Amino acid sequence: MAAVVFSKVRKEFGSFTAVHGLDLNIEEGEFVSLLGPSGCGKTTTLRMLAGLEFPTSGSIEIGDRLVNDLAPGQRDIAMVFQSYALYPHMSVAQNIAYPLKKRGVPTAEQRKSVEATATLLQLTELLERKPRQLSGGQQQRVALGRALVRDPKVFLLDEPLSNLDAKLRGYMRVELVELHRRLGRTMVYVTHDQLEAMTMSDRIAVMDGGELQQFAPPTKVYAEPANRFVASFIGTPAMTLVDGELAREGDSWTFNTDGLSLSVGTLADAAEAGSACLGVRPENVRIGQGSISATVKVVEKTGHENIVFLKLAGGHRLTARTSAQEVWQPGEAVKIALDADHVHIFGPGSRGSRWNRPAAAQEAPAPAQKTSMTPPTSKTGSTVQEATP
Amino acid sequence: MAFIKKLGFNLFAWAIVLAVAFPLFWMLVTSVKPAFELFRRPPTMLPETFTFEHYLHLIERTNFLTSFRNSVILSTATTIVVVAIGTLGAYSLVRFKFRGRESLAFLVLFTYLLPSVVLIIPLYLLLVQIGLANNIFSLVIAYTTFALPYALWLLRSFMAGIPEDLESAALVDGASRMGAFVDVILPQLLPGIISTALFTFILSWNEYLYALVLVNSDDARPLTTGVMNMLVSSFNIEWSLLMAASVMMSVPLIIVFAFLQSYLTRGFGAGGVKG
Repeated sequence: MAAVVFSKVRKEFGSFTAVHGLDLNIEEGEFVSLLGPSGCGKTTTLRMLAGLEFPTSGSIEIGDRLVNDLAPGQRDIAMVFQSYALYPHMSVAQNIAYPLKKRGVPTAEQRKSVEATATLLQLTELLERKPRQLSGGQQQRVALGRALVRDPKVFLLDEPLSNLDAKLRGYMRVELVELHRRLGRTMVYVTHDQLEAMTMSDRIAVMDGGELQQFAPPTKVYAEPANRFVASFIGTPAMTLVDGELAREGDSWTFNTDGLSLSVGTLADAAEAGSACLGVRPENVRIGQGSISATVKVVEKTGHENIVFLKLAGGHRLTARTSAQEVWQPGEAVKIALDADHVHIFGPGSRGSRWNRPAAAQEAPAPAQKTSMTPPTSKTGSTVQEATP
Repeated sequence: MAFIKKLGFNLFAWAIVLAVAFPLFWMLVTSVKPAFELFRRPPTMLPETFTFEHYLHLIERTNFLTSFRNSVILSTATTIVVVAIGTLGAYSLVRFKFRGRESLAFLVLFTYLLPSVVLIIPLYLLLVQIGLANNIFSLVIAYTTFALPYALWLLRSFMAGIPEDLESAALVDGASRMGAFVDVILPQLLPGIISTALFTFILSWNEYLYALVLVNSDDARPLTTGVMNMLVSSFNIEWSLLMAASVMMSVPLIIVFAFLQSYLTRGFGAGGVKG
């Protein structure tokens, strides 16, 4: 079993706390992304798992083995660095063979493994070259090869695609997902790119300010963001967030703000009357229906759809997504409707939690269990993301 | 106009080359002239008769070879000590995070603010007390003290240029800290080590003042003071021998430089990481 378990892991650098009591339970064979803005503690978390940083308190286990005090080399992990970190003075073959050499694998066996890995990653032609003679994509593959050659328990990937151009990045995303499916190994992937996290992961751990915000499959993170931070961070264009007041009448709640009054039905028990925040994704805004008055400000045409920026009568801004056939002109006064089933209500504050009733509670009681090694085929998030190249 | 500009630049450059090269040329010419030709007026540009008698004289009838051997041992030992301590020191100053790291680095440089003259007497007394006076190893210690701060700073900046990811990668790949240092850091540091070694070797080879004060016996003198002692007295300067000695003193440096310069310009470590 090579599950990875973080229990109350805390990391301090002097007076700065990079990670606050992280609890994370990654299952064997799972592809998990640590996603968050820079400085959210995701790389520190990965480096602690690699053994390059040591937690101030808490415990980290890899496959039922406490690794807190183990050196990186003893953890049976492999890591791909953002910078690739290829050894510049060694050839591609020597780079890939290095982890084997350090573990005392006989030379003949080393050569065989290197050749097998090179074939897998189409590096055979390049084995005698030095890293500086390779293109970015080739260097990336060598870095991957160095991680693959040893068949470790857990793969750690620290923003491995961020130095590639957009086209190659898209290609490598697919390659990595395929690789994960073939190897069935646990992979922990650090990224600040939500598109990568959404398209590749079995589950996403969204982090901010050194704290875990949500740990769930991509679809759930998209459809039911745990709090306002997750809601604003996931999705392109971003979810519209409007501050206002929540009022209660019996079991039914109403959200009010300038130029907008919306009945939001029942909410979770945690909901309180008073200031709150309404969130609505662009695809849940219908233009030309309903009764809310708005003005079209800007229309962005991406070819397969249009992104329409609206201004409500009260001054609030709203983003809508329409099909490419629906054409709205800037300056046009329109009526809009919001899909009542898909609006989100968040508590006050930048991390106010979501007050909607969980979908599972409303429908069939199916708890969001992760399904191991399911290739991300049709995730709401991924299709939504493709809008912005 | 462009032609005149180019001509002017060339004249200027060649004037500098001439100014630098002429003394070397004159040294070489003087060393192979027979003594009677030396003070002839007008002087002869190229010697009318070649002779190697001065070289033979130096090697057969003076302490030149002893001093030469002393200088080689002394400079090599100093270089090895300085590079070894400097490399490890620079590594710890760059990679380990400890309180006062920056101040320590500046404190090291602070020793350069003192003129070396004021350090001679204390150092001399110190070396007498530990029983190293009149020994070339006293010079190794002395030269190490003033080559090391500079070496540390030079290596520190080279070390800082080596991405930490490289070392992290080696650690994850199963290397120990020392293993990662040897396998990954040292090869990357090679240009820095060579620069430092060159600097230290030349400094120890040419140093005069400390050698004069700390070593008095003929057996232990390095070339700088040895040659002075042999050939320059209050009444006479043996010009021909002095020039022959100077030529032979320059040869090792020229060899070392010629050998290592190709390493310096080879451009290690380019393109290893992207970022």
